[in-house]
Amino acid sequence: MIQNIISKKNSFANLDDAANVVLSLAVFIGVWQLVFMLGIWPKIALPSPLIVAESFAKIILNHTLLQGVGVTLGRLLVGFAISFTLGMLIGFTMIRFKGFGKTLNSFSAGLLSFPSIAWVPFSILLIGFNDLGILFVVIMSSIFSIMISTYGSIRNIPPIYLDAARNMGAKGLSLFSHVTIPAAAPSLIVGIRQAWSFAWHAIIGAEILMSIVGLGHILSVGREFLDMGQVIASMITIFTIGLLADRLLLFKLEEKVRRKWGLDYHR
Amino acid sequence: MTKLQAKNIVKTFDHNGNSVLVLDSINLNVEEGDFVCIVGPSGCGKSTFLNIIAGLEQPDSGEILLNGKPISTAGPDRTMVFQEGALFPWLKVIDNVEFGLKIAGIPKDERRLISQRYLDMMQLTKFADSYVYQLSTGMKQRIAIARALAMDPEILLMDEPFAALDSQTRDLLLVELQLIWERTKKTIIFVTHNISESVVLGNRVAVFKNRPSQIKKEITIDYRRPRLSEDENLQKYYHQIVQELKSEVKAQIKDEFQ
Ligand SMILES: Nc1ncnc2c1ncn2[C@@H]1O[C@H](COP(=O)(O)OP(=O)(O)OP(=O)(O)O)[C@@H](O)[C@H]1O
Ligand SMILES: [Mg+2]
Repeated sequence: MIQNIISKKNSFANLDDAANVVLSLAVFIGVWQLVFMLGIWPKIALPSPLIVAESFAKIILNHTLLQGVGVTLGRLLVGFAISFTLGMLIGFTMIRFKGFGKTLNSFSAGLLSFPSIAWVPFSILLIGFNDLGILFVVIMSSIFSIMISTYGSIRNIPPIYLDAARNMGAKGLSLFSHVTIPAAAPSLIVGIRQAWSFAWHAIIGAEILMSIVGLGHILSVGREFLDMGQVIASMITIFTIGLLADRLLLFKLEEKVRRKWGLDYHR
Repeated sequence: MTKLQAKNIVKTFDHNGNSVLVLDSINLNVEEGDFVCIVGPSGCGKSTFLNIIAGLEQPDSGEILLNGKPISTAGPDRTMVFQEGALFPWLKVIDNVEFGLKIAGIPKDERRLISQRYLDMMQLTKFADSYVYQLSTGMKQRIAIARALAMDPEILLMDEPFAALDSQTRDLLLVELQLIWERTKKTIIFVTHNISESVVLGNRVAVFKNRPSQIKKEITIDYRRPRLSEDENLQKYYHQIVQELKSEVKAQIKDEFQ
């Protein structure tokens, strides 16, 4: 019964959401068309929605878009997986060795706000103008966020949970997997989301400057050929992928954890 | 046989730079199968003392002997019902109750049987699949009790477990706990600020002094069981403890307003 009411509420909310999205999109495209018709910018600097749609069709039909998306996502996933695994491991080590953790935490905080693009020249000279170089930029841009949030989330676990678990015989690995990780989860996921978005910034930036394939490259080709249609089409693709990845994966995960904990019941 | 022995337990805490002596040489002997209640003014160190017995807190000096051997770490042989409940919000009620059993590697079927029994006892079977935030404070407290009982420990440490319960539920659990104790012959150390609770439950009631704490008096309550809280014959013990506590509570209040 309660379940029923809740799911009903959810489906209404979903409908509402969908209607809002469609409406906002319509308004956006309408305003865009209007500005286009006012003729403030020349057509080459600001094409109409229709011209952009044509560019879209062009890069879809000649397969550059699909290939670009594939390459970019492939790199992103590999880079993020490495940065996730390594970042977590380093984060755990920081917890284990307190002095090391404290030092590395301040150090990483500095690097957290370091712009990802600024890693590019370093990476080109250190590793080269290749896939590995791009991976390096992605990893360096996201790993500190993973490290810091792993370290911070674990340190902020209320001691009573650890006490209760130890009191019931948990220690070492069982304490870690049954208590430390789930207790840290809500804030850990926030850090992972942030790292993901840093990685996403980094891959596009790196591809613009150091790649001959990928979404970033399609964007940069558009600029070279003064093809604003293509530029905007790739921007829309980048936006959509970023949004979908966050909403369908990370945001969903965060919501699920928050619901379980009852964190959505703030009044 | 002496199950648990606290020898000269001393504990100070750092309080914004000042060190505060909380436990000033606590000595307590608990026989196997004994039921000891601890009463004392708020802040006198009852929870701290239980934490030390549980091995969660280290004393500055003195030691805890369990079956004659000093304890060094926390362990499932001394299960605690925490004053704050301390349930895990990421687990369903039933998984909370089974937590210690799972850690001990008990197979799932067996765990289910045990958790069902204690959820039944606490009359919370209906909430087995709920999450912690969906429960009232009193319900949480009962889950915490079920969780500790399910572990079937040698010693049960209970820190004001009935504080958040309505009086009917409390009366029910007061009897239930006595029955469990008689049936299983568990050793129980039970902290409460409710004097009538302590005379109903305890074989002995240890009255803690105001900080720095010592055991001011131990009162033996030799009376048949199960006892009910409204039993007239318990009155004399009740008044005896009230007398012992009166001056301590006064001292504590004076302390806090200085
Ligand atoms: N981690 C801590 N750091 C500093 N002081 C502490 C700490 N834990 C407890 N204390 C102090 O130790 C004293 C005893 O605390 P404790 O929780 O054991 O009291 P209690 O007897 O259980 O009180 P209550 O009946 O209110 O639960 C208090 O004065 C408290 O301020
Ligand atoms: Mg207490």
